[in-house]
Amino acid sequence: MCKKSYAIACLLIVLSLLLAACGEAAPAVTETAAPADTEEPAAPADTEEPAEPVDTEEPAGTEEPADPNALPRDQTLYFNGQQWGAVVGWNPYSNNNNNAMAIAQQDNARVIMFETPYLYNMLDGNMYPLLADGDYTWNEDRTEITFKIKPAAKWSDGTAVTADDVAYTWATHIKYETPTGASNKDYIEDIVAVDPQTVVVKAKLDEEGKAVNPLLVSAYLSTNYVIQKAWTETLEERVGGDATELLADTAEDVVYSGPYGKYFADDTKVVYVRNDDYWGQDASMWGKLPAPKYLAHVIFKDNAAGTTALQAGEVDVSQQFNSNVQELWLDQGLPISTYLPEAPYGIGASLPTAFYNLESYGLDQIAVRKAIAIAVDYPTIIANAMTNQSATFEQVPRSLMNPTDGEQALYDHEAVADLQWVGNDIEGAQQLLDDAGITDTDGDGWREYNGQKLSYIATCPNGWSDWQAAIEVVAAAGKEIGIDITTNFPEWSVYQTVVTKSDAPLPEGYDIFMMWSDGAGPTQPWGRIRHLISSEFVGMASNWNGNWGQYSNPDADALIQAIPGETDPDKLKEMYTELVKIYLTDIPSFTLMYRPQSFHTVNESVWTNFPHEGDGTSPPVPPLDLTDGWSIAGLYNLTLVEQ
Amino acid sequence: MKHTFQQFFRSGKFVFGFSIFVAILLLTFIYPLIIPDPPLEIVAQGTFFEPGIYVSVYDSLGTTPHTLNLDGAAAKRIASKLNEEDRLAMKEWLVAAGIPENEIDTADTQKLLDLWMDNYDPTENIPGMTNARRNYFIRLNNSLKGLLSTEGAIIAEVNPETGTLEQVDVITQTDYVNINQVANVRVLPFGTDNFGRDVLTELVAATRVSLVIGFVSGTIATLIGLTLGLLAGYIGGVVDDIIMFFTNLFTVIPSFVLLILISFSIGQEQRGAVTIAVVIGLTSWFWTARAVRAQVISLRNRDHVNLSKLSGHSIVHIIITDILPYIASYVIMALILQISAGILAEAQLSILGLGPRTTVVPTLGLMMNWALIYQAQILGKWWAYLPVLVTIALITFSMNLMNTGLDQVFNPALRE
Repeated sequence: MCKKSYAIACLLIVLSLLLAACGEAAPAVTETAAPADTEEPAAPADTEEPAEPVDTEEPAGTEEPADPNALPRDQTLYFNGQQWGAVVGWNPYSNNNNNAMAIAQQDNARVIMFETPYLYNMLDGNMYPLLADGDYTWNEDRTEITFKIKPAAKWSDGTAVTADDVAYTWATHIKYETPTGASNKDYIEDIVAVDPQTVVVKAKLDEEGKAVNPLLVSAYLSTNYVIQKAWTETLEERVGGDATELLADTAEDVVYSGPYGKYFADDTKVVYVRNDDYWGQDASMWGKLPAPKYLAHVIFKDNAAGTTALQAGEVDVSQQFNSNVQELWLDQGLPISTYLPEAPYGIGASLPTAFYNLESYGLDQIAVRKAIAIAVDYPTIIANAMTNQSATFEQVPRSLMNPTDGEQALYDHEAVADLQWVGNDIEGAQQLLDDAGITDTDGDGWREYNGQKLSYIATCPNGWSDWQAAIEVVAAAGKEIGIDITTNFPEWSVYQTVVTKSDAPLPEGYDIFMMWSDGAGPTQPWGRIRHLISSEFVGMASNWNGNWGQYSNPDADALIQAIPGETDPDKLKEMYTELVKIYLTDIPSFTLMYRPQSFHTVNESVWTNFPHEGDGTSPPVPPLDLTDGWSIAGLYNLTLVEQ
Repeated sequence: MKHTFQQFFRSGKFVFGFSIFVAILLLTFIYPLIIPDPPLEIVAQGTFFEPGIYVSVYDSLGTTPHTLNLDGAAAKRIASKLNEEDRLAMKEWLVAAGIPENEIDTADTQKLLDLWMDNYDPTENIPGMTNARRNYFIRLNNSLKGLLSTEGAIIAEVNPETGTLEQVDVITQTDYVNINQVANVRVLPFGTDNFGRDVLTELVAATRVSLVIGFVSGTIATLIGLTLGLLAGYIGGVVDDIIMFFTNLFTVIPSFVLLILISFSIGQEQRGAVTIAVVIGLTSWFWTARAVRAQVISLRNRDHVNLSKLSGHSIVHIIITDILPYIASYVIMALILQISAGILAEAQLSILGLGPRTTVVPTLGLMMNWALIYQAQILGKWWAYLPVLVTIALITFSMNLMNTGLDQVFNPALRE
């Protein structure tokens, strides 16, 4: 009996330890996902991948005597807030590398290791050539894009980057059905090399012979890496043409064209070292090498650990939400600064949004939706949840646009001024409900619609602190206007499954729920609007795109359909204005705050000359941590602080 | 029974612990009567307001000003905006901008400011200066505006007809307001937290909830432990084996791990304060059961128990009348320890984010959890977590004191 009980006890201990280990991993996942919520939807899933294959890298690490603990401080730029957990791989075809510093094919692609033909600049909305030579050109019918490859562009093995590489990258994406291939094959027919320097991107055509979506075709050029043909062939040979294996390969031998390559990676640190033969020092590109020899990212346990390192000067560039960031310089007198010297400290790019479940009882009534939306105390959300790191709705009136000047200019502010609200309008909300006949008929203090009490649950993932604080404020507004709103915070693993299931009505408990919207990018604001209100996502079993409240409006759909093919700026403005009107009238969801594309806080103990407002760079370097899109230009401007 | 209670108070330690505990308990009942604000109301727009007395600026304008001519008022005003470090920094900037060092006198505020106003240009790019430093000078420059002015501040109103500003009042530098005359003054002894709630009000409510959690979990744990311990100890045999099998099983598994697993699997929707209390109670009864069993075994073969048995009393009757009274003092001590352990367990769980549902009721653990999430400890916002820590420490300290006090009274080995 005794022996048996011990055996069982031992088994239980082992099990519980295992479970505890899993349990500990879970918070890390939410922490990763929280700051990364503006990234592509696949990101949260990535972080859950077990980090097993990391073992296979060990031998590679010992090949070169890399000592990650002896990096000279004045040659190393330290980051935080990008990499959580150990790097899994270096494979640019895969989405599961968990290698945030090196691989992120997104609106502002991360280009320290792999490079895109063009770099998007969120500050001026332009695309600047990187691997490409000069601007791209559409043909007359807008069905084909032609661009040249820079003669100077070289791979890390010294061979030239050619148009063939671009074409072969696309062919591989299609052949092996990579995530990139899957999301672009509806818009791009083919990418071909006309000669070694010239690439032609052919758009997919609709029945009328026009490009299905020219916007997404041109966006491909700044969002997706060019990968070497020769290396891809080696990879194909290695995996024997198996698509799953191709995506799972850790690609330790990958050939890249960017300025940095792998130096060291384990579960404590990732270090990238400069390739001193980088082609970009050619006069046709940067004309010099980027300043830091090493880029290093210590893998911190959580945000607090990252902030402590930033305070101590052990981190130079922080992509973390540091609450009350101004205290780091005001109270603590540290040499820390953000892109803007005063609140909101950064450039808002995405619109964290509260979606209504339009199937919930009473929420099919515009009056109820509007009443809740105008009663919410947005200044408190911005001051408390975001600690003022968001523009207010007085500064940037609500629409579908982010606060950047480029997007703000895209709609007629006057025309929608009557529809915009700044919140805290309790009386207005009560009036609205009274007029709609939604009143408290049984005297219990809560309003009824057709005799049934209006009672909702507002929700967001547990552990996403700023969202939770925001949702609390939304719930408080309900109580002010006689609508019973309580909050609930499920775990992210549950939340994501429920919210992204758009082929059935949302279950109970998801009446008002928070999700993200697109940030800044070459397809914006069109892409964001599409993701917020287009009905094309209703009915998807796994909907990582948007419109999670399952709103549907044919007028809006028609406008979203038409915008990519429109080139006349006046016409575009008219269409965008109309969309804002529809959005602010129907209120299928409402923006709670503005959030930067990346948080960008720098410590100038070692390095200085980081991008900041009015830094005199032209074109302006955006505050995207010197790794994303055009912001990589900032790496070339860095200098050491004079001691 | 009365005699037993009187014995409690013979121990100085018990009395001391008891007084702390009663004081805390009373506070949780009296405070809400005086300040009836809902504890979770968001009063502040902004996070972590410092402790202090907040006086309505708007209302102080409406009061009659009192003129006080105090020496050093101007010097204080200047010092609050311009300290020694700032003066040296200004000198540094001016030197970098090409002003000869001997012309700069940091002690002469007037001269220094004149020189600064004449020369400072926020757009000037000084080589080697970091952006953080540049921002510092811009802020400093803004705060210096009007520093040496002797004029009052003008209050103006918008004329609704013309839309122009019209002066209605001047506040001179010697005007003072008596706080008692201001309609709206709010004392925030512990400032506000990350949600903008009054920390003291929240703390009092949280203490009450945490005490409830402690009582519920402690009672459950003690009841289960007591029942199983009595049965195992008195009946013995197979019953004892079975009960001790489970007790041993639970003893080897760290109960906190169990607690984490159960709380996690319940999911946040279901996690109310009482649910958490029940879970804590269900995972912390083992040592009580073991200890009670040991006590009972030593009582089992006493003469009075055997007499009872011979008299044909039922097991229940024997346990209640012949065994329980002998271990009652021990059970009470165990209960006190269980209560304090329950309060600690809730705090530990909540810090991990597995505590009761956020913002339905405040608990001590949740307050610390949110202070941690918003990095109060890194930013030096001590008022968001220190009062909570002290409260937890005081409660558990008082309970442990009561426990050792009782031990002194009832344990013959310790009796003086």
